Amino acid sequence: MTAGNGATPPLDGPVAALELRGVHAAYAGIEVLSGVDLVVPVGAVVALLGANGAGKSTTVKVAAGLLRPTAGSVMVAGHDVTGAAAHDLARIGVCTIPEGRGIFPNLSVRENLWMAVPERGRLPAVEEAAFTRFPRLAERRTQLAGTLSGGEQQMLALCRALVVDPAVLLLDELSMGLAPIVVQQLYEIVARVATEGISILVVEQFAQAVLGIADRAAIMVNGTVTQAGTPAEMQSALSDAYLGG
Amino acid sequence: MNDRIERLADEAAKLGVTKGAARDGRWQALGLAAMVVGAGVALLAYPLSLGKSDPRDIQSLIILAVAMLAVAVLGAAVFLRYSLGRFLRFWLLRQLYDGQDHIDQVVAALREPPPSSTPSPPAPPAADLTERQISR
Repeated sequence: MTAGNGATPPLDGPVAALELRGVHAAYAGIEVLSGVDLVVPVGAVVALLGANGAGKSTTVKVAAGLLRPTAGSVMVAGHDVTGAAAHDLARIGVCTIPEGRGIFPNLSVRENLWMAVPERGRLPAVEEAAFTRFPRLAERRTQLAGTLSGGEQQMLALCRALVVDPAVLLLDELSMGLAPIVVQQLYEIVARVATEGISILVVEQFAQAVLGIADRAAIMVNGTVTQAGTPAEMQSALSDAYLGG
Repeated sequence: MNDRIERLADEAAKLGVTKGAARDGRWQALGLAAMVVGAGVALLAYPLSLGKSDPRDIQSLIILAVAMLAVAVLGAAVFLRYSLGRFLRFWLLRQLYDGQDHIDQVVAALREPPPSSTPSPPAPPAADLTERQISR
């Protein structure tokens, strides 16, 4: 188990899919991240855990280009992309499913997928692939996204992100507002997605939900990564992180 | 697995935007400066021309004023281009949140039982509504 800076050795090859080095970030002058070091190896699922307010979502925003760090760097496949715009990072294959899903509620399920595909000629193939992967969405393809259940909306957000064939997927609070059984189903889908070679960073407040599928885990407390290692190694550190002491 | 990361590495190398956001800010500042300087010099050229008697000097000042007006217009265009993009992204985000809020209200209203005492047929579950039924 590693301690302190949270850097983990790569699982597959020397290049990490995503790496944050010494990242500091702030909102209106108030520092939220204080030197975050985090590595998402190629093809791995990394869980970023911590209590509410630890800085997990801010870490995802920095990685996604939604928030510019005040110090430190963001590396994607070995290249420094610090300061790159979020839409540029999304275009090259770093896709984010934000807290709250980010779907278009007044568009149907199909139309939400169309929004991710600029080339009209690809639409039929994209729809077929998406609805094969998510049969439950196929049944509701003409239904307005805003009227779907929470779990189905999360599936739609995941489906839309996968339509663009990302290399890195950032998931922020996948379980927010969902029943445990739905969360389990979603993480089973995430585990299947990970087998396709997509590198995944999952931010999650409810640790047990994600530790079953993660290859690595890191715990954040007060804006820094305090512990990192395999899920089994993290079990004992979790209670300290959430309850203090 | 390696194909994805190779493609990502290629695209990230082409991106070359380590200073992208700062570059946008610099263009905004440059556009603003061009606006102010262009308009200011054009306005100065007029009172200067009043003090000249030689028509060639007057013509030179007129040309300067027109050129500076062009600089001001160009500066305004540059400023708008690099500031409008950020504004439009925030506007879209706002539309998304407002839309979700509106849909939540509609769904909540459809799920509530009718207030009248006489029994009425139950409304269809909101989850079964298609886009056609809602738009009717």
